[in-house]
Amino acid sequence: MARGIERETAVTPSREYEKQLVGRALADDRLALRKLVELHKDRLFSFIWRMARNHHDAEEICQEAFLKAFASLDTFSSEYRFSTWLFTIGYRVCLNHLRRKRALTGELDFTALPHERHGALPASIESEEAGRLKELVWSAVDRLSAPQRATLVLFYRHELSCHEMAQVLELPVATVKSHLHRARHRLRELLESVTEHELQEFRNRAGAAG
Amino acid sequence: MRCEQARQLFDAYLDGELSGALATELGAHRVKCPECRRALALMEVSGHIVASDRDPVVLHGQFADRLLACTDRKPIRSWDRLRRGLYIAGPLAAAAVVALAVLGVFDRPVRFAGKRVEGQPRPDVSSPEHSAEAPATGRSLDEHLLEEWLKETQENLAAKRDSGESLQRHFELTISQMLDILKQARVASDGTDHVPGADGQVPASPPEPAPADDEDVEDL
Repeated sequence: MARGIERETAVTPSREYEKQLVGRALADDRLALRKLVELHKDRLFSFIWRMARNHHDAEEICQEAFLKAFASLDTFSSEYRFSTWLFTIGYRVCLNHLRRKRALTGELDFTALPHERHGALPASIESEEAGRLKELVWSAVDRLSAPQRATLVLFYRHELSCHEMAQVLELPVATVKSHLHRARHRLRELLESVTEHELQEFRNRAGAAG
Repeated sequence: MRCEQARQLFDAYLDGELSGALATELGAHRVKCPECRRALALMEVSGHIVASDRDPVVLHGQFADRLLACTDRKPIRSWDRLRRGLYIAGPLAAAAVVALAVLGVFDRPVRFAGKRVEGQPRPDVSSPEHSAEAPATGRSLDEHLLEEWLKETQENLAAKRDSGESLQRHFELTISQMLDILKQARVASDGTDHVPGADGQVPASPPEPAPADDEDVEDL
């Protein structure tokens, strides 16, 4: 259902263009490095922020991921997309960050963090029911395990196939599918309190928005 | 279709992998079953929100500048390459040096590509005259050099073996000379050539003193 949704940030460069940029970056072309950053930073940050749920941490993780990618650019294989490779590095850095944070602060509870309010539509357009539903959905997403959250975000938000997700998460395709299915079912359990009226209201608004 | 069967198809349906006939069956069940309708609607709506909800935060505008400034400060790629190279080349070089030292290559000047008298300059293997030598044997220059090096190593080993043997002989000689000196000293001191343990026999009891003259006894 959601597979066909066009993302506003999904300006995906062609594989050939990415390959050219990587080749130029390897030859110390600063403009090519900048172009690679500009092309991928927003998508990577969006993914990492959904995982880390902290603006400052997400920026640091993104920076580290880019630096690691540039440091081992000569090992990049053109059989992958640059974005897939970059997301793999970013996810690994993010997991390490979450592990360190858990070691320092105990079990993470993202729902308790005072993070930024979600909102697809300006308050004047969005109904109270739709706004509440979004809050509920994102709080439920925050309560998923890291691999479940990652598969959900990559599948719906970044429109990655199960095969691509398997590359990013460095897991077998079957495991990725299992994480995705468990994530959906867990969300359904956590959203039991949602009323029929809220559901209907959201669907009407989403339908009207196109 | 029963609810149990319908729920097993939810994931395939949401993944977009359900075939036409089964999708129709599921749709029909969904219309008449409020529980399954609600469960599927919750999963669809949450997927829709995850997909389309705008991020409330954006990356800092100067992110690219800061990142590229970091790469300016740290020549990461070249340093990382060098570090990775050292990880591999360092131990290999050390192992090679140890192996060459064991083989005795450093004992004498290494003479590649032909015999060389010490003190003379090493022949330039890259010179055209030298490279012309190798094709005469029908082998490449590398093979030629390798053969020379092997020969050199074998000679070194043989020389080491010879020097070891001569050292052993020298020690044996020295010991026998010392034994001779000891024997002579003993003979000079007590008039006998017996040295305890020198011939590997149990030391004999001290010899009886020679009978003294009667006159001498009376004097005592």
